[in-house]
Amino acid sequence: MIDAQKTIVVTGIGVISPYGIGLAALWDGMLRGQCCLRRATELYPGFQGTVAAVSALPPPIEGHHYSRSDRLAMAAARDAVEGLSGFDLRESGIVMASTVAGLTEIDPEISKGPAAWYRHGGLSRAASYSVSRVAASVGEHLGILGPACAVSVACASGAMAIALAANMLLDGAAPMVLAGGSDALCPFTLSGFNSLQALDQEPCRPFDQNRKGLNLGEGAAVLVLETLAHAQRRSARILAVLRGWAMTNDASHPTAPQKDGIGLAACIERALEMAACSVEEVGYVNAHGTGTPLNDIAETHAYENAFHGRSRPIPVSSTKSYFGHCLGAAGALEAAITITAMQAGALFPTLRLNNPIESSKIDWLRGELRREPLFATMSVSAGFGGSNAALVFGSHRL
Amino acid sequence: MNTTMPVLTGIGSVTPYGPLAGLISAEPLEPSVITAWDTPGLRRAFLVEPFRPASIVPGLKTRRLDRLSAWALVASSLALRDAGIDLGRMDRSRIAVFFATGFGCIELTEAFYQSAATNGWAGTDPITFPETLSNAPASHVALFHDLRGPNVTVSSKSFAAESALLQAASLLRHGQADMAIVLAGDTLTQAIYEWYEAAHLLSPTCFCNEPTSAAGGFIPGEGVVAMVLESAGRPAAHSYAALGAGRWATGGDAQACIRQLLGDVQPDFTICSGNGAPCASASLTDSVSDLVGESVIIPALPVATGMGEAGALLHLLLALGKRPGRGQALLLGTSAHGGYAALRLEIN
Repeated sequence: MIDAQKTIVVTGIGVISPYGIGLAALWDGMLRGQCCLRRATELYPGFQGTVAAVSALPPPIEGHHYSRSDRLAMAAARDAVEGLSGFDLRESGIVMASTVAGLTEIDPEISKGPAAWYRHGGLSRAASYSVSRVAASVGEHLGILGPACAVSVACASGAMAIALAANMLLDGAAPMVLAGGSDALCPFTLSGFNSLQALDQEPCRPFDQNRKGLNLGEGAAVLVLETLAHAQRRSARILAVLRGWAMTNDASHPTAPQKDGIGLAACIERALEMAACSVEEVGYVNAHGTGTPLNDIAETHAYENAFHGRSRPIPVSSTKSYFGHCLGAAGALEAAITITAMQAGALFPTLRLNNPIESSKIDWLRGELRREPLFATMSVSAGFGGSNAALVFGSHRL
Repeated sequence: MNTTMPVLTGIGSVTPYGPLAGLISAEPLEPSVITAWDTPGLRRAFLVEPFRPASIVPGLKTRRLDRLSAWALVASSLALRDAGIDLGRMDRSRIAVFFATGFGCIELTEAFYQSAATNGWAGTDPITFPETLSNAPASHVALFHDLRGPNVTVSSKSFAAESALLQAASLLRHGQADMAIVLAGDTLTQAIYEWYEAAHLLSPTCFCNEPTSAAGGFIPGEGVVAMVLESAGRPAAHSYAALGAGRWATGGDAQACIRQLLGDVQPDFTICSGNGAPCASASLTDSVSDLVGESVIIPALPVATGMGEAGALLHLLLALGKRPGRGQALLLGTSAHGGYAALRLEIN
């Protein structure tokens, strides 16, 4: 028996990605197998690499200073609620993830003398620095007055925002919560990942034996979450049920994932347990799949452990091969893709996956798009600091 | 005591009062003179005096860390010590870390910008970069104590600490963890201080040696407070307070929300928290005075107000330190823009 007050459903999805504004643009591009990754040299002097940038971002709002991450979040949130009705948006909550936030607005010149930098225009730019601004900006843009919170847990942030939003709904903190993530490309993070030698100069190859690293992208995605009871009251179209969610930490290394993927496997198992979902039932896993040597092998071990009881290999792909790693937005964008894949019965292949990591337990999706009915799907995220998050979505069959 | 309410069983802090376990029963503090960077004249703030973390937590290595991470490690260790917890006997996969911050690891972020200014973006330091991430302190806490439960870092305009406390309690209520270490804090740097000054947010007290006054503006501060929250049930645990329901919002009808939150309960104490906005808490307590009735108002202290978005745990700690006695309490905060946070507590 389903408890409609305790069942969390997704009733809206908003996206801004390198494909453009809207889920349809993302979906059409991915169905065509279009890769958005491009060579770039202009991001800072000396940078040579591959990124996926958003070109469809609406122009800045006059009289306000919002960071690029804020503006991406605002565009995705606006897209998410477009066309929805039967509720008071002002009462909603917001949980937005970001890692970059207002870093895009800060200049290294600040380090030579903050006061002088502020006098020369930096004051309003620096005001957008805090990660909390991403959630606050969405609230200001849409007139939302409910609880607003930003999540910053490196690359697991987006998925965690969705998990925390679900908890808020269970607590009755708001009747509806907009949850997602947003991050912009910026020299700070490009330089940081470059210094760690984590970037592939060419388009990334997640789960390939010859993978060399990740590519950074940018974008935002926002899910509209509410309880089933609330959605039914307003006769909302239900896109998916968020059946389960979990968060764990490896507690093994500040940056590297646990080699055997035990922490991530535990996260997956907890999410499945909460969802009351068997390993057989999961038809597709949208992996974290960054393309770095360490992440992908740890993740492979995690899937082998968590899905060891399955009678057939678990289908897995990384959609970062299409538009890069959008950091704090990644988990939300991938959740949006995971839901839509389930609705359409479409299993996206990982692009450029020519020589997959050997595993008899994993069905690496590659080559052509595969079509088959999906009733339960999973999106997996992990990040620096050992954090893991897993979301289990189910189709709405009530 | 309601046994379904998460219980606050341990407190640790690194604040201008120093690194301490348990309650702080300190008197109001005066800000100290800033000497860590060149200032254009006298400038004051509530600062944490330098100390050696390993002298508090033997074996702790913090040389490469942002002070925020180092303080989080010390405060969490002190909180666990205060709670009398032997982690070796606990299921560490069921222990969460919830960290609230306004600015994250701002010191090493500034250091990273400094390296970019000096060497160009192509010459930045790979060791510094991961330590600039906002979740680095919470990750270090997990790594040091081998805590494998949910590890979350949040920031919420005006109410980062309140939202962390509420969300950590939510994890416990929903069975997603059995225990959580909730931390909240920030460090103060030249860039942050000068931003406040340029934005004309500082109290006149920051610029002279006069005692702290209630004049407009606030005095920036720094520090980290850690609190151990447990699902009711561990037999030996002592309890400072049990956490009831709470709400926070960026606007709307605060009175109606707080009325609903309180139900028939008349709080014995109202603990004011503030986010740096001058007199914001006083205005809210005025506006809800009919709801809190004869409640004893425990005012916000400037040392906690100075910690801004992450100050609520210090407000709570200082209020508990006054040992107000057993009873129902309301932790009440507000922002300058109409937001509010309210959390019910049962003080033991």
